Amino acid sequence: MGQSTGATPPVPITAKNKTMIQYDSNNKQLSIDNDSNTDRLTNLNQINKLTTALVPETNPNFQPQPNNETTNMVKNMFQSGMQQAQNKNIPDALRKVDLAVDMRNKARKPWEPFSFQLQELHMMLRNRTDLELVSQRNLDAWQDLEMLLNCGMVVPEVFIRLTDCLLKLNLVELARPYCERGLSLDPKNGPLLALFQACEKKMLEIEGDL
Amino acid sequence: MPQNYDYDEASTTWPFFVLTVLFVAVTPVTLIELYRLIVGDSSDKSSSSEWSQLHEKYTSEEVRKYRLANKKKRSKKGIYFITVGWVLISMLIYHIRSNDAIYQIAAAAFDPYELLGVTLSSTDKEIKSAYRKLSVKFHPDKLSKDLNEIERTAMEEQFVMINKAYKALTDEITKENYRKYGHPDGPQSTSHGIALPKFLVEGGTSPFVVFAYFILLAFVLPMVVSKWWSTSQEYTKHGIHSETASHFVDKMFNFKPSYVVVPDLIIKWISEAKEFQLKFPELSSVDIANIIHSHVNREKTENEYARNYVLTKSSLLFHQLIEIASTFRNTEVALMALDTYKTVVQATPLSPHSQIFQLPNVDKEHFLDSTTDDICALGKLFTYPDDKIGKMLGIKDETALNETLKVASRIPKLKLVKGSFKVRGSSLNTAEPGSTPHIQVKVLVRSPRHKLFPNSLIPAEKIAGDDPLLLEQDPFEKLLEQPLLPETFAPLLPTKRRTCWYALVVSQKDGKIIQTPSLAQRLSLENLDVNFDKRVIKDLDKEFNAEDWTIGTFSIPFAQPAPKEEGTYFFRVVIKSPDYFGSDLDFTVPLTVKNTPIETDPKKEILEELDSDDSGNEGEENTGYSSEDFDESDGDDLEEDSDFTDIDTDTEDEHEATEETTEKSSKTD
Amino acid sequence: MSDNGTHFNETFFEGQEKPEIKVVSVYTPLVYVSILVISLMIFASKYRRSQVKKLAELPSIFDEHEARDLYFAIAELAETEQLHPKVVKAALLNRGAEAVRRTIKLREVAVQIEILYKNGSVDDKYWQRYQNEMKLVDLELKSCIEEAERLQPDWPQAFVNLCREICFNQALQRRYDSILDRKNIFQKLYQLKLDDNGKLIQ
Repeated sequence: MGQSTGATPPVPITAKNKTMIQYDSNNKQLSIDNDSNTDRLTNLNQINKLTTALVPETNPNFQPQPNNETTNMVKNMFQSGMQQAQNKNIPDALRKVDLAVDMRNKARKPWEPFSFQLQELHMMLRNRTDLELVSQRNLDAWQDLEMLLNCGMVVPEVFIRLTDCLLKLNLVELARPYCERGLSLDPKNGPLLALFQACEKKMLEIEGDL
Repeated sequence: MPQNYDYDEASTTWPFFVLTVLFVAVTPVTLIELYRLIVGDSSDKSSSSEWSQLHEKYTSEEVRKYRLANKKKRSKKGIYFITVGWVLISMLIYHIRSNDAIYQIAAAAFDPYELLGVTLSSTDKEIKSAYRKLSVKFHPDKLSKDLNEIERTAMEEQFVMINKAYKALTDEITKENYRKYGHPDGPQSTSHGIALPKFLVEGGTSPFVVFAYFILLAFVLPMVVSKWWSTSQEYTKHGIHSETASHFVDKMFNFKPSYVVVPDLIIKWISEAKEFQLKFPELSSVDIANIIHSHVNREKTENEYARNYVLTKSSLLFHQLIEIASTFRNTEVALMALDTYKTVVQATPLSPHSQIFQLPNVDKEHFLDSTTDDICALGKLFTYPDDKIGKMLGIKDETALNETLKVASRIPKLKLVKGSFKVRGSSLNTAEPGSTPHIQVKVLVRSPRHKLFPNSLIPAEKIAGDDPLLLEQDPFEKLLEQPLLPETFAPLLPTKRRTCWYALVVSQKDGKIIQTPSLAQRLSLENLDVNFDKRVIKDLDKEFNAEDWTIGTFSIPFAQPAPKEEGTYFFRVVIKSPDYFGSDLDFTVPLTVKNTPIETDPKKEILEELDSDDSGNEGEENTGYSSEDFDESDGDDLEEDSDFTDIDTDTEDEHEATEETTEKSSKTD
Repeated sequence: MSDNGTHFNETFFEGQEKPEIKVVSVYTPLVYVSILVISLMIFASKYRRSQVKKLAELPSIFDEHEARDLYFAIAELAETEQLHPKVVKAALLNRGAEAVRRTIKLREVAVQIEILYKNGSVDDKYWQRYQNEMKLVDLELKSCIEEAERLQPDWPQAFVNLCREICFNQALQRRYDSILDRKNIFQKLYQLKLDDNGKLIQ
């Protein structure tokens, strides 16, 4: 068994695809003409992103370190967003926070410590969600919350918001399980219990049992 | 030469041998066919009342033909087999009856009871007197002199036999011999023979026999075995092609949280099954997916000929996909696969109005245009008077409307009465660490037409139902007391199917499925016949009659033992129907793990427990929390790892910053 | 078999059971045994070779290995075209990150695959594919590290750590990037009518 699997052989795909890959020497980005395979495109984008991050890196033995410059940049943008929120200028606040997230996506190098990046994203998304909820962008809030949940933020607060925004989207059958899951984490959570009652009531209403 | 085998020269043995083989093969098949003939028809009849006829009525000619052809194919095979079998059997019996040699051998058998003319239950006295009489009759000294030599010898032999028989029944040693060897003189010589008729062995046919043996051993046997082996390799234990199974596993394995699960994705996976490639090599998986999509949208497809097979097969494929997704603990995929399964069964796409559109005769466009109130549920539909419903659904014909309403009112809705963890043999609501609990779900089946009533109206004994004496009974055996579910109203599906429910259990801690789904096929739907129309009932307490209602039970096995550490663990139970929209149930059940205090009298405990149950603290809907007081000692570290399929976040669990952002959302309303 | 009439000049005893002596060379059994053994050996080696070939032909349980394929494509491209040296490095980091992801993934699903195999949901072949993958994934990571050493001799130490972080961050980014798709899909699925501000139209 060993000998055939030993050397991971260069797959023939190279010969075929070499011609498809194009290199732009100005921005050092690669591109590919056939766009059929999303997986390949994703990978190519990841490589491009890595290249962009690598080119200005002068230390050949760089380590996974958070970049303070980026941190400050993102933080400033985010904080100015929060400032707007305090001035009750929700749309502008949301725009600023969106910008801060985008900035993070672009400027963060892929090898900066994950735990650090996750924390930063968590913090911004949580606030963005609240802004979205206030401005009734419930679909946006729902998806941001699911992202948070997916990234390990399994706390009652996320479930409160999820239930709330799903109820506002008239999706009780989705809201209720989230509410119940939140209650499993904290059976005495006041807002969740209230939301649970709201879910029940809404269910009855939809079913014509009220 | 070591030993000489006798062939069956007089044909006395082989017919019996063949007869036995035939009987073994034919009898069970006959019984099964007979059972089908009787029960199959009667079950058709019983449900055929109106339901089945209705189903039949809405079934298209094409589908009906397909179903009939399928049924015939199956029953024909059985009937041919039985006919040939019984003809052979009767021929053999005739052969045996006409074969004197067999009678001779039978006559030579020794039966002391028959010889003495007594029965097995005769007493010693009776035996003795019978013997005396006979011995007097046959005693050589007492025989009449007119008998010729042959008759005399026969008589004398008879006398010896009678003596032997008498001894066999009275003398200890002879009795022992008779009991052990079937003969009073002790072991008889036994002959081993080959149960082959002589004509096959001798003369010109023998080379053929040898040749036949050769063919059998050298070709047929290896071929049969290898064929069996390869098919058993080709198909998994659950009946789908192993490549299909691998395909599903691949899909689950390569699933990333960034993917969005929608019905189209599930149908795509299903359509890539090996089964379809084998059956229709000319069709691509896209073609197959198109067939399924067009069925769901109730449209024609270009490859109409493949439709019936694809839809029939898809049911098994869905089932397997759900199982594999559950094994991979993927709640999202398992639930969406079940929803997609529904869309195929009801030929209704997934939409907020699926519940309405699954009904027959509904004019979709008309419905969407005509209603100002958003009606998504059947229950809501039944708040309107019948003629108004007809107007909303765009049904003008009165019989058609009645039939639509009939179907709608017979789509079972489940109402949770009580869901709890039970341990066999215990009436407690808590489980001991390491014990094996199961989930008991008490439900009320109701029609969407029925007026809702609170669980507090249901007498407690109906809900509890646990006779303390029956606690030891196997909860799953107990389920068998409930009747099988009836046929699903799915007229566009090429196969008839029995209604069922899937029960998924999800850990609320990580939101993932913890075990393969269990399937419930038994539940009484007799509540659907109760007349309790929500448009008619005004005074609930007065008109409610607890006698009318039955409470159904689902018992869901719990695949793992109760956690080792005390505490309360929450599990989401999703009871989902693959048949109808609007028949699902989704709730949370707490599992309280607690060491029972020092042994008290178990009976007393049970009684006390029952008392407290009776006193009605289960009045409100059991939601798993609200009223009950749980100690918050979450022994959380039970489950091994907080693994993320794609992102590993276990390095990151700081939620300190949470507090500042709390509260906002619930106040935004 | 024995047939006394035709023989004379023999004692009674010999006549009873006259062994028919056939002269057999000493080599006969040896030839027989060697033919047997050799044929068995040929069969065994052929069988083994075909098994190995079959195993090698088994498809990976992972989807296409785009990260690796792209790396090789880019490395080849670098020979003919003037690429910035860091492009190759970037491709290698991407490949390494994917290798790390696969290692984690395989470890994660070990229990599930075993359950599926034991309850007969998947066949031996799948099990074999899984086992193969376990070995391949280690080799792939090793080969990445070798490549890293080739590109920059003192790199391997840092390389693995970088790959780990990159792997997680890429996953995070992928999940974030899917938010837009998800919004569109769910809006369609649940027929949510939203205005320009993302508000639900009641």
